[in-house]
Order: sequence, then structure tokens, then C-alpha cells
Amino acid sequence: MANTEGPGRSRPRAFDVVREEPRDFGGRAVGVMRGILLSEYFVLYLTVALFLGLALVYPELASARNISNQVSNIWPLLAVAIGQTLVIIILGIDLSQGAIMGFVSVAGAVVMASAADPNLLGGSPLWGWLISENGGVLAGSPYAVAAAIVAMLAVGSLIGLVNGFFIARFRMPPFMVTLVTLMLFSSAGIWLTQSQNIVNLPPGFTQLGAGDIVSFYFGEKVEATIKRRDILPFVTYPMLIAVALAILAHVILRRTAVGRYVYAIGTNAKAAEISGVPVKRVIMLVFAFSGFCAAVAAILYSARLGGGRPTIGAGAILLDIIGATVIGGTSLAGGKGKVTWTVIGVVFFVLLGNALNYMKLSAFHVDVVKGAIILLAAALDVTRNRLLARERGG
Amino acid sequence: MKKLLALAGVTLAIALVGASSAQATKVCYAFQDLSTGFWGAGHEAIVTTLQKNGVEVVELNGGKDANRQLEQVKDCIAQGADGIILTADDGDSETMLVALAQEADVPIATFNRPPSDLSKGIIVVADNESVARQAVEAMAVEAEKKFKATGKKLHPLVLVGDLADPNAVKRREGFMNALKNHPDIFETPAEINTKWNSQVALAGLEAAVTADPNIDFIFTSSDFLFPTIQGVLEARGKWKKSGEEGHVILGGLDGDDGACRLIREGYVDSTGVQDVYLEAKLALDNIQEAIAKGDPRPNGIKLDPGFALSQANYAEKGATTWGCQVLDMKK
Repeated sequence: MANTEGPGRSRPRAFDVVREEPRDFGGRAVGVMRGILLSEYFVLYLTVALFLGLALVYPELASARNISNQVSNIWPLLAVAIGQTLVIIILGIDLSQGAIMGFVSVAGAVVMASAADPNLLGGSPLWGWLISENGGVLAGSPYAVAAAIVAMLAVGSLIGLVNGFFIARFRMPPFMVTLVTLMLFSSAGIWLTQSQNIVNLPPGFTQLGAGDIVSFYFGEKVEATIKRRDILPFVTYPMLIAVALAILAHVILRRTAVGRYVYAIGTNAKAAEISGVPVKRVIMLVFAFSGFCAAVAAILYSARLGGGRPTIGAGAILLDIIGATVIGGTSLAGGKGKVTWTVIGVVFFVLLGNALNYMKLSAFHVDVVKGAIILLAAALDVTRNRLLARERGG
Repeated sequence: MKKLLALAGVTLAIALVGASSAQATKVCYAFQDLSTGFWGAGHEAIVTTLQKNGVEVVELNGGKDANRQLEQVKDCIAQGADGIILTADDGDSETMLVALAQEADVPIATFNRPPSDLSKGIIVVADNESVARQAVEAMAVEAEKKFKATGKKLHPLVLVGDLADPNAVKRREGFMNALKNHPDIFETPAEINTKWNSQVALAGLEAAVTADPNIDFIFTSSDFLFPTIQGVLEARGKWKKSGEEGHVILGGLDGDDGACRLIREGYVDSTGVQDVYLEAKLALDNIQEAIAKGDPRPNGIKLDPGFALSQANYAEKGATTWGCQVLDMKK
């Protein structure tokens, strides 16, 4: 059934090989390195090694303030990458997640914005009936934020469901279907707002983007008041939301029949169908969940940036989403992946971006270095998979 | 699991002992892209001048991604930067990032692109309305001559930038105000929203010129679109020098090296010059002054008055135009 991996399967084989080596220090070191390389948490070890190595050169990287920042950067990316993980496990890909985020961000703002500038949005096809100088359709209502969030989640899930319907019902390639949805909804978001941001979102919503629940102050209290900049948030609303989503996805994958179906479809959809797995329904459900996760990310990003932004998912974010998922260990060949791996992949990507900011590289060199490091990580992962395959082959 | 806990422990230990080391003055330059001559020249001026002054520069390219730039500015604050020079993609992002920096007591200056809220931060910006108006007035001098010769009203077109960018809004306003001063010689202008994207501009311009083949007066809100205009006009046999039959009166804004070359060659009639070097100097001087004074929240607008460079005043103004200086350096 599920072609999942775990340390229990790889580690004994690795140690079997070690026993064949001479029991000197060099042999043990090679054994340990091999054990690390073959571990399913290899990317985690790589991330920690990268962090420790860089922290020696750039001590600020390990400062509490920086870690607080980086922790806050993890959550929105994690939320959307969780959806992508399930899609990739069923041997799919969802290119539309960024477009869904942009469209959903606009949809939410249209519901809850408390005011809008006619000079910027007067040309929008929504102007006058869904949004006006007085704001969105529920501007000022105590239910505006809740309604906007529900609308955002519903719109995201619905777009995902449409993706899933075409892929499952007409057996269309996920790449093509989600590419079309990407173009359709990214253009629609820009057209509806005429490429403008819808700002003036209620504080109850923007608080979701940065709301601190548990914050720390490191240092001696020498003044009567502590400056806001010195109070570092660690437990925030985005953290709770993303962690809840991760736990939900983990439970679905590891503890439910749907999760087993997901792995079965990714491993061999035809065999799964013959075995009685409701393949079409599961595919639709997975893509709807991917849209839902993109909507959750859109909520976090929109709240963080204080506006409904049609371009919120444009740019390189899709590469970060897919990159983090795949670097974490989820296989583009389908049938293999875990939410915990995606968490690690996201942490790796966030740490890498953060470290590059500290390296004081020229702007012309940053992406070259980033690409080289990702390539190196991917090459190590490929080597690891080959070794594992060889081990299994006996 | 034990291994994971051990790793987490080591990581936490490093985190708790990590502390900022004493360093020289550190300034972050957070920008959105370097895709036009203006931004490239501004980037070079800011980075090299800071480095010459012994300031440690952290370059942060947001790549037109508002969230990425937010994370970069937060990184910059976490690094203990003494000041930030910022160019975001739109006025709303500028406002948010200025507020973020000021909340953290880090002085911030915005370079060339102003925030929606003009009351916070050091705002270095060209007087876009005035510069655009001056450039279009210089074009109107040529338009008056043509009107007198033919008796026919001219068909103007403006390539507008991204209207979320206050600079684009002001440049459009300057264009319209200049046309209002000459109501008898112009038809109602056509407007193309380019979103500062050459592909969008190309598609819009192609459509507009096809719909109205008599368009003979084009103003672009940024000089980087001149190659796009050239492509469209050349295909229709209308890429002519000033004084030649069928010349389309052309103007732009920035004063970059491409516009300077086209003015020298006679294809472009005028360009509004925003002085990139002056603006870089204003941003640097003011941020360094705030750092020296220990002022965490300096506010104020620093205006680059700008001027129009045209074929008529090239001999007088060409040498002081930054784009012409860049062009001469390339030679």
C-alpha cells in the first residue's frame, strides 16, 4: 500500500553495512554519516547543520530576535505547502495555489474593508455594488471579519474543487488544469481590482497576521517601560492556525482511510481503483484541501500585509511552496510524503532566505547562491534515495 | 526522537547565547528590482557611496514580492541595522514598512517611491507632477508648430504607470495639466495603463495605435518604455526624427541614458529628469544625519525639483542630466 519510509526500515540496513567495515574511528564516522544520510530526517540534520555553521560566522543569526522573526515567517508558507504536499503525494501538482491566494485575498477584502479610495478603485468592476467609498459589503458589521474568513475559505476550497473535478472527471493532467486556473484567477483578481490593493481592513483581521499570544523579553529590566521592539513574539495566531492545519493534515494522512487512499492513489491509481478506492472523490477532496490551505495562507498573508492584494501569490512564492515540499522529502513521483517532512522543508527554505540576507551578498548574486544551495541539497537527497534503493535491493 | 530532542536543545542553546556583535554603522538598502536604468543607477549610487563612507551595506532585493520584502525588512531590523533605505512596489507597502521600522526605532528613508502616508519617514521623491508637466510643455512647443502647419488637432496618448504607485498618479496628473494649457491643439488623450510592465505597455500601445492610426503625440511615464514605443512605431513606419515627415512627438520621464541618446539622435523631443544622484544623496545624507543624531523616527519630505531636458535646451542641460552622464561613461 503506502510506500512510506521510516527510520525503522532504513537504519538496521545501514548498521548492517557498518558491521562489514573495520571497527576503527574512520569506519564508525563513515557509518554515522551514512546513517544520517539515509535517515528520513536527513533534511532536518542538513538544516540544523546549516544553521549551526552559519551561526558561527553570523552570530546575529542565532539571536532571539532573528529566531522570533524566522519563526513568524514559517507559518504562512507552511499552511500553503501542506496542501501541496497532499497533492504531490497523489502524483499531482497544484500550480494554482498562488493565484488562489491572490483571488481569495481580494474576495475577503471586498467583504470586510471599512473604506476604499475611489481614485484607485473607482474603475473596478466591483465598484458601486460590492465595494464603495464606505468599504466592502459588510463594512462596519461586527460579523465582517468572521464572514470574510468564511468566504475566503469557501472560495479557496471551491476553486480547488473545480481543479479536482476536471482532473478526476476528465482525467486531465493536473499541470494543465492548475496552469489554466492559475492564469484565470490571477488575471481575475487583477482585473477585479484594476491591480490595486484593497486596504483599510478591520484591526480584528490584521491582528491575525501578527497577534502575539506569548512574547518574551530577553535582558535586564532597567527602564520602567520595555520598548515594543524588544518584546519578541513566539506564540502567535499564525502559529496556532498553521500548526492546527498541520496536525489536521497529519491525522488525515496517517490515521484515516482517506490518508491511506491518498498514498495508494499516488503509488498506483489504477491498482487503487481496482481495490475499491474511490479515486475520483479522493482526488477532488485533495485538490479542494489544497485550495483550502491556499486560502488559509491568503488569510495570514493578507492580515500580515494589511490589505487584499491580487498579487499576493505572484512572483517566486510558488517555487518556494513546491521547493519546500519537495526538499522536505515528498516525492514528485507520488506515493511518498509526510507533513512533518514538509515542516522541515519549509524551515530549510526560511532559514536559507534568512541566511542569504545576512551574508551581505550583492543583490546580483543572492539568487545564484540560493539556487546553488538548493541544488546541493537536492543532489544530496537524490544520493540518499539511490543509496536507500540500493540497500533495499540487497 | 531522542536525536531530535538533542538537536532542538543545541539549537535553543545557540539561540539563547547568540547576541549581536559590535559592528560599524549598518544600513540596509531594500529595493524591489533593478530592471530599469533609473533603479540601476540609484542602486549603484547608494551602495557605492555608503561603502565609500565606511558604512556596511546590506542589499535586499524584494523581487516585487510584498511579503518577501516585509520579511527582509524584519530581518534587517533583527540584524540591528542603524538605518534603512527603502523602495517598495507600491505606496501601501511603503507605508506599512515605514511604520514597522519606526515602531522598532530604526530610522528609515524611502527612495523615489513615496508612501501613501506622507507624514512618516524621510521621503525622498521627485516633484513628479511638475517634472511631467515641464516635459509635456516642451513637447507642446513642437505640437504648436505642427498644429500651425497643418491646422489639425493632435492625437495625444499617455502611457500611465501602475496607479498604486503615487509617482505614476502624479505623472499622469502632470501630463493632463500640461494638455489643459493647450485645449485648442489637442484631442482627448488616450490612456494606456502599463502597470510598469513593458509587455502590458506593448499590448496596450499596439491596440491604441491600431484603433487610432492618427496618434502623433506620445508621453511615457517612464523612459524605460521608449524601446517598446520604438518597436510599435517602427513597424508602422512612424519612427522618424524630429523635423522629418510623419514624426511622432515623443516625451518621457526619468532622464535615463536611453532617453538622452534618443534626444541626441533626434527621435525623442523631451524627457522629465528626476535627478537620481541628487535623490540618492538626499536619502543618504538624511539617514546618516538621523543615525548620527540618534533620531529613531526622522520625518520629512525631501523634494527633487527636476527639470525637462529637450532638444531645445540640450546644450545647456545635457551635461547635468544623470542619464547623459551614464551614457558618456559607457562610451
